Amino acid sequence: MAQKLHFIVIDDSKLDCFIAEKVIRNTGKSESIKSFLLATNALELIKATPAESDSHTIVLVDIQMPIMNGFEFVEAFETLPKEIRDHYTLYIISSSINENDLKRVHTYPSVKKFLNKPLTSNTLSTLLG
Amino acid sequence: MNNLNGFKATFRFDYNVFIAANTTQAHQHLVENPDISIILCDQRMPDKTGVQFFEEIRTEYPDPIRMLITGYTDIESVIDAINRGHIFRYIKKPWTDADIKSAIEEANKFFLTNSMLVIKKQELGKAYEDLDKFAYSVTHDMRGPLLSVQGAIDVARTMTNIDEIKEILEMMDKSVHKLDDFIKNIHEYYNLKRGQLSFTEIDFNRIIKDLEDIFQISGRVNNVRFITNLIQGGGFKSDETSIKIILNNLLSNAFKYQRRSAEDKFVELDIDVNNERALISVADNGIGIHQNYIDNIFVMFFRATSEESGSGFGLYNVKDALIRLGGTIEVASTPNEGTKFIVNIPGK
Repeated sequence: MAQKLHFIVIDDSKLDCFIAEKVIRNTGKSESIKSFLLATNALELIKATPAESDSHTIVLVDIQMPIMNGFEFVEAFETLPKEIRDHYTLYIISSSINENDLKRVHTYPSVKKFLNKPLTSNTLSTLLG
Repeated sequence: MNNLNGFKATFRFDYNVFIAANTTQAHQHLVENPDISIILCDQRMPDKTGVQFFEEIRTEYPDPIRMLITGYTDIESVIDAINRGHIFRYIKKPWTDADIKSAIEEANKFFLTNSMLVIKKQELGKAYEDLDKFAYSVTHDMRGPLLSVQGAIDVARTMTNIDEIKEILEMMDKSVHKLDDFIKNIHEYYNLKRGQLSFTEIDFNRIIKDLEDIFQISGRVNNVRFITNLIQGGGFKSDETSIKIILNNLLSNAFKYQRRSAEDKFVELDIDVNNERALISVADNGIGIHQNYIDNIFVMFFRATSEESGSGFGLYNVKDALIRLGGTIEVASTPNEGTKFIVNIPGK
């Protein structure tokens, strides 16, 4: 994967966004990083972004958030046209150890993997290969 | 019919008695009086037997305790009915007032125990529901801030710039406070659920003084004016712990959910008390609550915003305290203009 990646981080905790930004930046593989405290704002951005052929964005989304939670975000994302969806890879990242949450993550075809908080350089490096 | 009237005359001082000469009338009484607790029925009714009548109404009216009045000749069918659970006990003819009285007392005890059991079962169901929600939220609300700090420590290890380190320390501090707030809220929650209310004379002057001490500091830091007004038109008795929980939560929300860019930020607390009731109003010109979320703000763990840290516990505790005091709460809010809570608490 020679091309640089874009990142979107969605978490209602400012500190967790900050940590994710630092960890992502430290990999040196990021073209851009955008953080959102509200999933609705991230969704708006994804909808409004034209599908460029060679760009790819990794989305890290928390589960428990006010207004729109992580699952609701994924469900809304999955209703978007395929041309848009193809440019994104979704990961759910959470502090949850609730089995129902974990099971539910696997029911979404667009979610690649469940990641445990906190995000570390090791996890991210493995992920990016 | 004479029997019936005699019965009513004898027992009308002790109980609320309805009489029926046939099962149709009896059925009508059940329809009109859902709180009937005991039914006495003669086995030989004009249209059907008492056992038949009880069998019929049992499914639709399971709560009233059923007692059969009968002579020895019917005893076989009665025993059968008792064994099948249709009848609590039978009263043999001819009966004395004392027989009836003791049977009714026994039946009433049984009825009250059953009703209590239903209430306890509902309470238990509610407690389990809370426990489930609680267990789920613990992973997020307690584990969340801890993992954030853990992640921050990890990131801070790679930092060399002192300003960056200070910035991340600041965030870690907030995260730790958030966890502490959550734990304090749980403590309040259990105090409310399990604690006994203790009604004493409430000194609102002192309470306001204490609140000013707490909130003026955080107000000064964020440039929020704290205005308090008290009209004390008589003594007021209530549970001080509950009153403090209500005021603390409403005020800390009002101070927390301010618009950062607003010019003249304020929180206004008005308390108007007389012997009958306390009217408390907490108003701010902060971020407000969106109309879509306003109905849910008192639900446990519900959060209407990602601005500032919240546990989703505060207003739930407020509502819970008010239910226990027999009080009410109303909220009016406009996004980007402010929010006003009006609390009405009856005095004891």
